[in-house]
Amino acid sequence: MANLLWLQGGACSGNTMSFLNAEEPSACDLVTDFGINVLWHPSLGLELGENLRRLLDAIVSGEMPLDIFVYEGTVVNAPNGTGEWNRFCGRPMKDWVADLAKVATFTVAVGDCATWGGIPATAPNPSESEGLQFLKREHGGFLGKDYKSKAGLPVINIPGCPAHPDWITQVVVAVATGRGGDLTLDEFQRPRTFFTSFTQTGCTRNMQFAYKVSATEFGQRKGCLFYDLGCRGPMTHSPCNRILWNRVSSKTRAGMPCLGCTEPEFPFFDLMPGTLFKTQTVMGVPKDMPAGVDKAGYIKLTAAAKAASPAWAEEDLFVV
Amino acid sequence: MATAAVQTLDISPVGRVEGDLDVRVDIENGVVTNAWTQAELFRGFEIILRDKDPQAGLVVTPRACGICGASHLTCAAWALDTAWKTDVPRNAILARNLGQIVESIQSLPRHHYGLFMIDYTHKNYSKSEFYQEAVKRWAPFTGTNYELGVTISGRPVEIYALLGGQWPHSSYMVPGGVMCAPTLTDVTRAWSILEHFRRNWMEPVWFGCSLERYEEIKSYDDLMAWLDERPEHANSDLGLYLRMSKDIGLDKYGAGLGKYVSWGYLPNEDKYQKPTIEGRNAAVWMKGGVYDGKSDSHKTMDQAFTREDVLHAWYDEPGGLHPFDRTTKPVQKNAIDPDGKYSWATAVRHAENGRLEAGPLSRQLIAGGTHGEDWQYQDPLVLDMYRRLGGASVMLRHFARMHEGAKLYREAERCLREFKLNDAWYIKPTEKDGRGWGATEAIRGALCHWIEVEGGKIKNYQIIAPTTWNVGPRAADGERGPIEEALIGTPIADMHDPVEVGHVCRSYDSCLVCTVHAHDARTGEELARFRTA
Repeated sequence: MANLLWLQGGACSGNTMSFLNAEEPSACDLVTDFGINVLWHPSLGLELGENLRRLLDAIVSGEMPLDIFVYEGTVVNAPNGTGEWNRFCGRPMKDWVADLAKVATFTVAVGDCATWGGIPATAPNPSESEGLQFLKREHGGFLGKDYKSKAGLPVINIPGCPAHPDWITQVVVAVATGRGGDLTLDEFQRPRTFFTSFTQTGCTRNMQFAYKVSATEFGQRKGCLFYDLGCRGPMTHSPCNRILWNRVSSKTRAGMPCLGCTEPEFPFFDLMPGTLFKTQTVMGVPKDMPAGVDKAGYIKLTAAAKAASPAWAEEDLFVV
Repeated sequence: MATAAVQTLDISPVGRVEGDLDVRVDIENGVVTNAWTQAELFRGFEIILRDKDPQAGLVVTPRACGICGASHLTCAAWALDTAWKTDVPRNAILARNLGQIVESIQSLPRHHYGLFMIDYTHKNYSKSEFYQEAVKRWAPFTGTNYELGVTISGRPVEIYALLGGQWPHSSYMVPGGVMCAPTLTDVTRAWSILEHFRRNWMEPVWFGCSLERYEEIKSYDDLMAWLDERPEHANSDLGLYLRMSKDIGLDKYGAGLGKYVSWGYLPNEDKYQKPTIEGRNAAVWMKGGVYDGKSDSHKTMDQAFTREDVLHAWYDEPGGLHPFDRTTKPVQKNAIDPDGKYSWATAVRHAENGRLEAGPLSRQLIAGGTHGEDWQYQDPLVLDMYRRLGGASVMLRHFARMHEGAKLYREAERCLREFKLNDAWYIKPTEKDGRGWGATEAIRGALCHWIEVEGGKIKNYQIIAPTTWNVGPRAADGERGPIEEALIGTPIADMHDPVEVGHVCRSYDSCLVCTVHAHDARTGEELARFRTA
């Protein structure tokens, strides 16, 4: 039995919606098979008004143990650090977060907003939003860089816009079954088991990437999305092509360039004019290289790839 | 008779409405006599969009709302199409419509079981003859049909993932078409997902009969005859919903304003390949319009009628402006004053008809009208029920929502039949400056985006979401917002646990997370000429 509380701050509810798509285990399985006791959730909880207030007070006082505190959305600090622009249950949400993080055994940030600030924290960040322990790449965030939950771990960051349901449920199950100690986190406090490989790992367009065959515009049946359409698959850490979305696909498989949404900088280039769905280049060479590749290496690699490219690679591959 | 004491109750939050809604009600003799709805979250998406890439709305606006992100994406794409004067191929119109539809179909069981029916298991109703059965089926997490319904709600959006890679938060709809080029196997897989949804939930659990039998219902009498026809009908989740709703009095309150709006949606694949703002009404399959229950009359709707009042919203600017003309000047300190300003949502109204309710009930009442084009969708059932039952109620509003599922299911099938797999999915447009407008109907109601592109970047981006229509505070003339009005007359059995307020609010399927506004907290200066709400 593990008590779980899920709250939303500056959120769109996308991670909740994603979570409800979970299948193994499903949201219901978590309750019935894994003994997760959902104390409250904004979309699913029973209580309203004063009954919720009573529950929250019991958690904050320690009377009701809080094993897993899941937070979705940014911590809103506006205006002027007061947090009044996001009030919940009679007070600024940020005050609830501060109190709850102190009593939680594990604190889990789901989605980009709770991890790094996400879209609301995009310049000029009008709601003064930040993530629980990061603001973009900067360590600290709302709880401060020294924060540790009662289990001795920093905030467990499950990024993505949204996070994949399996990333959420697997972490919750690990904690609920006593394997929370096995979670190893990377420098951005993401579980390494999910965020060491790349979005490109397992992409169906890998052969076209290797032969430098480009999808030059949308709606084509061939080509890699990296060279012209701004795909960030080769430099984004996620298992999107290992653990498929909605069981069936991924953005890059469907023909949509990866936006790099599991990385702290998302949305990249602050969405400035000309940066969207277009590979940013200098003298024909991409500004952002596949992870670890340098410019000289890239030029050699692609020249060789072009020279070696077989005829079929230029033809449609994903045909009717 | 002595004047009864008025008790004021602040409910913060009313949960299960997607986002955080606070409600204040005055209660006299156990009945709500006045109400105020307050939106309590402010993120600032419009300021984020200002000066950004013209296509930034395709990435940002679906993330205004993770629940109806496909609807936001639809609006963002069509707004750019009208601004850039693109050509949109037939396949792309179908692929956009299919994505929009499967998101809506997903939302039906998810909202029904996850958010709405839970309240039927509330101890308030323990004396109802249907209570035990309700608990067995609909108790959160453990109810038999709760678990089935919530889990199967994830299936339709697998079709969205086939088109866009994932749900929620894909950006596969782009000006000029879509990013994908589905193959035969995507289409056949989509068919099997639809069939699974129908054979495992829609028919055996929800209807208790075939989809074809349900589609024969055209009037309230037909519905009642269907209910009595077989035990499978009466005991289906729909049958039990109707019987228990009446038993616990949900047909008796929650009427609201009695005035309704819809933009209409799902443009026909052959009629909107050169999209314009003016050409949209005659191109959409499910027609838009305004229905006035009092005079029982229908008329067409145009975006030019949209007005926003801010007298009771946390803004300091003239009221009554069209969204293109607004200058957003939020007040710095958002203190709650029921006589003054008390919400981040503006009061949206029609220039001629005042406040209007948005949502599936609106769509169905408008679908019953004879206005519009001959080929457009027409359905008399909900309008007949509205007339026969003496107007709207919590029960009718939620019924209308679920009723639409059958129509949307058929339209999804039609999209799959109509794809011509070897034809174009995308025609690369030329970027240009200009004004655009894109609209649709999210499952919870009328949604639209206005965009102004100047100098190759966004000058102005505005959104009016269905919840802005429904959850807004009083207008400048004092007319209550739709939910405020719907709360009047609500009986409250237990002041400490006012589940009845929840019924009313949840019947609107409100989504507060769409309520987003612009303000620079540090300087207090206006930063955006636009706001999304």
